[in-house]
Amino acid sequence: MKIIAAKKILKANEELAGKNRARFNQAGILTINMVGSPGCGKTTFLEALVARLAGRAAPAVIEGDLASTIDAQRIEKLGVPVVQINTEGACHLDASMVAAACDSLELDGVDLLVIENVGNLVCTAGFDLGEHLRIVLLSTSEGDDKVAKYPTIFQKSDALLVTKIDLLSHGDFDVDRVAADMKRLAPNGRIFHLSARTGEGVQQVADWLLGKSRRREGGLAG
Amino acid sequence: MHELSIVESLIEQVQHEINRSGHEGRVVRLDITIGRLSGVNADSIRFAFELLSPDTLLADADLRITQPKAVCHCKACEARTEIDELVAACPACGSGRITMEGGQDLLLESIELED
Repeated sequence: MKIIAAKKILKANEELAGKNRARFNQAGILTINMVGSPGCGKTTFLEALVARLAGRAAPAVIEGDLASTIDAQRIEKLGVPVVQINTEGACHLDASMVAAACDSLELDGVDLLVIENVGNLVCTAGFDLGEHLRIVLLSTSEGDDKVAKYPTIFQKSDALLVTKIDLLSHGDFDVDRVAADMKRLAPNGRIFHLSARTGEGVQQVADWLLGKSRRREGGLAG
Repeated sequence: MHELSIVESLIEQVQHEINRSGHEGRVVRLDITIGRLSGVNADSIRFAFELLSPDTLLADADLRITQPKAVCHCKACEARTEIDELVAACPACGSGRITMEGGQDLLLESIELED
């Protein structure tokens, strides 16, 4: 007896992701899935971003980590609604975790929801969370070969944020090499250079996200 | 090791498909597709399957994995080359002006039940 299925293995996750996206669309929320290695500066960027959104958009944050509430506490200090997901060992967030997190988050009046994924350049690539944009962070201290070495996540991202750009003069990170590798994998992907510590370049990312957010409200973005 | 959660989803989906079909019994063979550019490692899938299948209907099932290649299309030399992994340049002429298509699928193709 043979059953022909011909279905996506991650169909359950994709269906849930679709429901999450519909929920965000209905609420007029632009949702971002933020990925990158542990230590690339995701939370520090988020803190800098929140400061630059003040008075222009109302953000909320979902933090994903294996353990602890360290990141959620940092975000909470900024007065931003935040929920921490502890994956207890799982190397990535999935759509069901995000759905559960949204249930315990006050989303009324929120324009921008940032989901900080588990620090991981590999496993996070395969799981749609229901986001509108996926942004990947790569710090200058990680090395300029990472786009070529972990191509899948970069290929599936809408923007690459090169972080810790203030450390550029202390190493031999080649921004042109990274840009060329990213262009090959994601020809339409945006590239930003920033330092959350000095503030350089953060405003450009904030403006880009606000542009996307406003277009959503106008019903133009998909 | 996201392959573990992928195999968890696979096993759930197989059980769902069997229930839906109205048939029952042990799975003797399972055919799946893992595209070469999907970011999923076939060996890790096999390993996760060995770990997770023993207490399920899929215990001892013959897991067959097909791994379709992707195509690299070069805008410089117009070559269309089959590739096994993401490449940075056209394998034919070395140009970086390329796009890659296909090889992303992750599919449960068919389930064979014991007679």
